[in-house]
Amino acid sequence: MSQVKWQASGLQVHQASDVTDSHIELEADVVIVGSGAGGAVSAYELARQGKRVIVLEAGPYVPSQAFTEDFTQSLHALYQDKGGQANSSGDLLVLQGACVGGSTVVNGCVCFRTPDFILEDWQRDFGLEELTESELAPYFDEVEKNLSVHDNGEHEIARHGQVIREGAKKLGWSVKPLRRNIRQCGLTGHCLSGCKTERKQSMLVTYLPWAQAHGAKIYSDTRVEKVLTQNGEASGVEAVVTRQDGGVAATMTVKAPRVVLAAGAVQTPVLLLKSGLANRSGKVGQNFACHPSLLVAGKYPQPIHPWRGALLGVHVDEFMHPDKGGFVLEDGGFGLVEMTMLAEPGSGEPFMDYMANARHMAGLVTLIHDHNVGAIEWDGERKAINYQLSDVDFPSMQRAIKAAARLHLASGATEVYVPSSDKRVIRSEADIDTQVDSLENEPQHLRMVSYHPQGTCHMGADPDSSVVKTNGETHDVPGLYVADASLLPTSIIVNPQITVYALATRIARHMS
Amino acid sequence: MNSQLQAQKIQHIWQRGIARRQFLKWGLGSVAAVTAVAAGGFALLRRSPRDEMTPPDWVSHLSATEYHLFDRAREVLLPVAGTPMIDSANVPVVQNVQQTLGFLDPVTRKELGAGLSLFDNVVVFSHGCRFVDLDDAQAKALFDRWGEGSVLQRTLATVIKQLVYSSYWREPVTWPPAEFDGPVSEKWGLAYLGNAPMPQESSLDVQQEQA
Repeated sequence: MSQVKWQASGLQVHQASDVTDSHIELEADVVIVGSGAGGAVSAYELARQGKRVIVLEAGPYVPSQAFTEDFTQSLHALYQDKGGQANSSGDLLVLQGACVGGSTVVNGCVCFRTPDFILEDWQRDFGLEELTESELAPYFDEVEKNLSVHDNGEHEIARHGQVIREGAKKLGWSVKPLRRNIRQCGLTGHCLSGCKTERKQSMLVTYLPWAQAHGAKIYSDTRVEKVLTQNGEASGVEAVVTRQDGGVAATMTVKAPRVVLAAGAVQTPVLLLKSGLANRSGKVGQNFACHPSLLVAGKYPQPIHPWRGALLGVHVDEFMHPDKGGFVLEDGGFGLVEMTMLAEPGSGEPFMDYMANARHMAGLVTLIHDHNVGAIEWDGERKAINYQLSDVDFPSMQRAIKAAARLHLASGATEVYVPSSDKRVIRSEADIDTQVDSLENEPQHLRMVSYHPQGTCHMGADPDSSVVKTNGETHDVPGLYVADASLLPTSIIVNPQITVYALATRIARHMS
Repeated sequence: MNSQLQAQKIQHIWQRGIARRQFLKWGLGSVAAVTAVAAGGFALLRRSPRDEMTPPDWVSHLSATEYHLFDRAREVLLPVAGTPMIDSANVPVVQNVQQTLGFLDPVTRKELGAGLSLFDNVVVFSHGCRFVDLDDAQAKALFDRWGEGSVLQRTLATVIKQLVYSSYWREPVTWPPAEFDGPVSEKWGLAYLGNAPMPQESSLDVQQEQA
């Protein structure tokens, strides 16, 4: 094994500003597209096997110290499409990190293992017999240990989590601390803007520096445009290095017999579609799910200050199993900009009154087990995220909203705001059915956000109905792998980062 | 753009919106009205005193009519009388809107521009003037009504509101009245923890090698 050179802070990243030549030619054993959950773990695992690894990240390198803790600025600096990535009808924001470290830099740190009943579905419906609870448990154990995953301590449950927990107990609902990958949480509440003081155990401060210590090289500002093949096998990629002003700094070719796609469930299928590869099944880009979530806010008599303390504290898992509803509720903090997107109390004075009460608000995030009804498409110029909440899933969303409202009221809220385009305020149990049953499953009626796109190059045993084998290699192209949330055959209800870490570890360990 | 072209453009958008979004609450009657008015007094009705006002020098990625629309939306959507909140006239709301719209890809930006033009002009048919010339109560009622309306109406009302709201509350000057703390790590003197230590060799590796 080559000498390991771990550095205490930051990363050595080749950036567009470093480029001096108009074309760059590189060679490696493995080229990895994307530096988020799947890419970083793959890079570390493969580099420490002694392989020459190159990681290409389309987004910029933003060191933690440069994080601003300003949500709007962070959207512009760290997120895909400057925070504006949305479905085709514009009513679902799809928030993904677009920077070195990917979405792990801007997520809420929440860690769940893949639920057993989801793995059973995958085994039964997709022929993934290998992916059992016992097979994956050691991988979960390892990544959780590496990333300091732990149950939130009492000090990590902010005021908004405390009131929600009390309400759940009154209702007799199962409520538990969330598990998070964080060391010595600073309780700033700014997770979604990146963790400035490097407490969140994102890829930026864990697997990427570890991969680099084993010799992996990281290139930012480098968008892969095409996967190359030779004699039907993966042989590398073509990329473009782009300056901050959008100008092309250089073109790049990386020759490598192994290509790992880990650009996320939106960009990975786009790249395959652009390349015209691995799509015998016609499933590339199909099967998109995203856990469309709502942030349901409630107003409390006492000050809550939802931006203070850890962003996410507790969750209600009472309804997690599909037979019991198929949704999860997580208490969630937020700042003023996020709060403007939550509710529609009426234009003008009613809205300003709502904002004037910001410090009295608490939030509940709803996650539902949506069906894989969407698709990522590429028309030659632009990607499209074609996803609308299906009529099958709409009742689940309504049940989740009702449960959130009931929980807020039990927790002492005097008003609950349904996150819709029209004015819907719940003040008592009697209002819940009236306000929620009359919602219509039409575009732009609910204000949804997705942090968990998944499923667009899904695993399966059958090459005619899936894109990737259980070992992460595409059915059609030897040497071409996928190692991100595109793999997931169904939505998994819960935050998927730990699932991706575990699968990426397993894929790298099984790579020949 | 002359008024006839403007009217045709609005009619085109209106019809395209119906076809593309399949929204049902507006029927052929609305389209007929658009056509009739387009052929008649549209040019006169859509004039606004604001058209005579030159936008500030910093306006570069908004048209003059877009600038006036967002500035009017700012006035209507952010009333602060009787509250401790900061007068939006002292906050760079429209500058921030301009910055955000500057991030859009050209195709989306063009479509949004058409939608904004529709929003501004379509009330000519019902109120005899553009959105920018509605009084405060009428303008707020329009936003509320469109929030309950068709897909296209909900989309436009939501987009304009979100742009204006987020452009106001992103500014630190607006935070103290709401007791929002803003960035805290440096204020609190939190130490940087740096990179996590390298993990220990895993038992899985050993198993793999043995296999």
